[in-house]
Amino acid sequence: MTQKELNNPRLIKEANERIMRHLTRRHFLKESAMGMGALALGSFLTSCGTGTAAPDSGIVFDPAHPLAPKLPMFPGKAKSVIYLHMAGAPSHLELFDYKPDLMKLNGQDCPQSLLKGKRFAFIRGVPKMLGPQARFEQRGQSGAWVSDNLPHFATVADEVCFLKAVTTDQFNHAPAQLLIHTGTPRLGRPSIGAWATYGLGSENQNLPGFVVLTSGGHFPDAGKSVWGSGFLPSVYQGVQCRSTGDPVLFIKSPDGLDRDMRKASIDAINAVNQQEYKEYNDPEIMSRISQYELAYRMQISVPDTMNINDEPEYMHEMYGTKPNVACFANNALLARKLVEKGVRFVQLFDWGWDDHGTDADTALDIGLINKCRQTDKAVTALLLDLKQRGMLEETLVVWGGEFGRTPMMENRDGKQNPFKGRDHHVDAFTIWMAGGGIKKGYTYGETDEIGYSAISGKATPFDVQATILNQLGFDHIKFTYEYQGRPCRLTDVSGTVIDDIIA
Amino acid sequence: MVLSVTEFLGRLHPALVHLPIGILLIGLLFQWFYQRGTYAVSLSVIKIIFLAGTACAWISCITGYILSSSGDYESGLVNWHMWMGIAVALTASLIFRKIILQKTDSWYKALSIGLLILIMVTGHLGGSLTHGADYISSAFKSDSGTAYKIHPPIIHVEEARVYADVIQPLFQKDCYNCHGSGRQKGKLRMDDSSSIMKGGKDGSILIPFKAPESELMKRIILPTDDEHHMPKGKPSLKESQIALINWWISTGADFHKKVKEFEQPTRIRGYLLALENSSNHADSMVPPSPVEEADRKTINALKEKGVEVIPVAQNSHYLMADFINSVSIHDKDLALLVPLRKQLIWLKLGNTKIGDSSTIYIGQCTELTQLQLERTGISNTGLASLQSLHKLQSLNLVGTSVTAQGVLSLKTLKQLKHLYLYQTGVGDKDWTMLAVNFPKTQIDSGGYTVSFIAADTVVVKAGK
Repeated sequence: MTQKELNNPRLIKEANERIMRHLTRRHFLKESAMGMGALALGSFLTSCGTGTAAPDSGIVFDPAHPLAPKLPMFPGKAKSVIYLHMAGAPSHLELFDYKPDLMKLNGQDCPQSLLKGKRFAFIRGVPKMLGPQARFEQRGQSGAWVSDNLPHFATVADEVCFLKAVTTDQFNHAPAQLLIHTGTPRLGRPSIGAWATYGLGSENQNLPGFVVLTSGGHFPDAGKSVWGSGFLPSVYQGVQCRSTGDPVLFIKSPDGLDRDMRKASIDAINAVNQQEYKEYNDPEIMSRISQYELAYRMQISVPDTMNINDEPEYMHEMYGTKPNVACFANNALLARKLVEKGVRFVQLFDWGWDDHGTDADTALDIGLINKCRQTDKAVTALLLDLKQRGMLEETLVVWGGEFGRTPMMENRDGKQNPFKGRDHHVDAFTIWMAGGGIKKGYTYGETDEIGYSAISGKATPFDVQATILNQLGFDHIKFTYEYQGRPCRLTDVSGTVIDDIIA
Repeated sequence: MVLSVTEFLGRLHPALVHLPIGILLIGLLFQWFYQRGTYAVSLSVIKIIFLAGTACAWISCITGYILSSSGDYESGLVNWHMWMGIAVALTASLIFRKIILQKTDSWYKALSIGLLILIMVTGHLGGSLTHGADYISSAFKSDSGTAYKIHPPIIHVEEARVYADVIQPLFQKDCYNCHGSGRQKGKLRMDDSSSIMKGGKDGSILIPFKAPESELMKRIILPTDDEHHMPKGKPSLKESQIALINWWISTGADFHKKVKEFEQPTRIRGYLLALENSSNHADSMVPPSPVEEADRKTINALKEKGVEVIPVAQNSHYLMADFINSVSIHDKDLALLVPLRKQLIWLKLGNTKIGDSSTIYIGQCTELTQLQLERTGISNTGLASLQSLHKLQSLNLVGTSVTAQGVLSLKTLKQLKHLYLYQTGVGDKDWTMLAVNFPKTQIDSGGYTVSFIAADTVVVKAGK
């Protein structure tokens, strides 16, 4: 850099602005907190700023090694989680919740008693009842009902535990997805994967602790917030990886920049950040340093792990992968690879399960079947593959959507939809779990004769979250993080561990 | 509910009794000090203390008598408690009289010692009445309520007796405390079949075949904040437990038959099978007894090699060691694990470059419950050194060159529950032989396939 450039007024202006940026209101108030009043103010401000682990949670946040393995509160059965989210909310009535009585009501007007006081996303007036649009059979020793839409999964029904009566209180996709993943329908709170990585760290120090893989052509409606870190240090947010092209965007060094130079530049940036940390004591700066270092290590480790081409041919056949396409099967195989390498939480989102019946792609007898075919083989393969590698014992697999579907046929704006479809429904849907210390071949909860509401074994998203945290070794009530002046937790003020499904 | 004045006085008893106990004990202590002369205690103080203590003792006797007439308590125990209580009050009165007369003779000493013993016995009896006879001792047992009967684990639920093996354990855990041999709240006893059928002071608690009309069912499904909720002051029974009790009453509330003699709806079937599973629950992956802290230096030496060694949980000294970040470790480096042999219970060596000579070290870590050796250089030779791992529950040998012959050498591991042998040298014809030799172990041969169905790749399209 020449002297002339340094004198460049634009550079000076930028430097000044940068200094100004540090003099934010928060820093100004913090540093002027000298007098009595200001001291009190200072203590209020700490609660607005970066939070800390609540003292009784026993979690120590080390900003220099945020992903180092940490201790759970009690020995957890599960060491990692693979969460398969079918974004759009698949119909429980066409997959797992068999209701022969609903068939008898097929085509009849929905009784007023079911509509009174209820609000639906699209149904208006009096809709018609719609019988199950699939053939059901009891499967395996456990006799769990699985429809013909999932012929492969039906063979492993004895490995999973069905929660048949999950309920929610959000009938729109984005809030419902946020609720199930972050414990609130509003934006801004950490996702369950962020909580898990915050609590347990990660085993592999060269890979992120929380990886997100998406398929189906779209992001989930709630956007990236469903894998965000909320008020937890940002290092715990999900790292979205892609199954085609560069697994992580911009992971390759730019042309002409070799690895030594990259290392030198990261060291320089970190040295500057270290100085900043000394000055401002903001733990987020230490997180940033460790993220730079992780990113540097990831340049080697990630392309290696994310490459499914080194898997043998029979694995590809088992999962039904498709070369060089972003698809669920590839993601499922990747999920197994990632967990095998010590990634704590792998979240798969598959978009396209919103079966309203407004067009062929969202018809229960067309679109839904195609979605099942895209995922059925891979889900089954994932369970069997984890099992044969001895990983299912320690890996909790969760499958589900964000809500259920109505037993009524959707009549958007009072007019019959052109295809068979169902509207969003909050009072009942099915989630299944497998491995990670959950009972095998077990069904918990029941819905009424038409699958409209839960009649026993009702489970809320909070109960599901509490159970997942329990399997990882955390008491969801004590697992808190101090934020805005109070200890906050994933389940906020609700949730009970579903003891009945724990093996 | 409106309480009469006498009933109200009766209910004061459990609170009032603490006064005479405390006051009289202080009196005895002061009196002892007074006689030894170690501290200057005035006799008039002791006089006041004994006056107060004696008065309180008599008041407790009266309130106690009123409470006992409510009939909620087992009469035998109550009688003993009552006479002991009266004895306390009498003895205290006598001592008080001796103090007034200033007669500190040998009778006076004997009375004092007698009073001390009486207070303890009476207090203990009273405690047994309110908290149950096994209240204190149950703290030393793993499962409270075992004072009655220890239920053997259910091996085949079909052969289990509906009442004795399925229902009674539920009653024992959540009902006996107030409706058992010690106390009979509402004049109800639930620890034998005739008492259950007899019911309490408001009549029968269950009507065979009519679960929804049975008082027992009504009470246990009430929300916890309802005043009639049972078990009182405790969380509700679990979904599965309520369903099982409901099923038992609906099928006639039988006390002798076996599970297989009744029809089982799918949901009940699931809950029954779950009882079978949960019986194996006791042996966990973490030993129940605590262990001293491991040597920090050894842990640090391992950490320097990139090994993650951390306790399995907060407040536990048991350790897990994970070599995921140090795959190129040498066999001899594993000697570092040996000083941790008392603490190390989970060991993950998967994908590392270790070979057979490492197993002499691993074999010394006899507390191990979980060992992962997948895709390492371990072969039959190495397996022989693992015979000493008697506590091992899970062993992963996926992708190693071990054969059926080598695996057989692990027959001595009686605790082994899971054995993963995918992609090993075990031949197709060996599996049945292994299954016979490892009757309690789930051996996973792997090699699963998900067969191709033509429909997998067919896309359904909308018809015309």
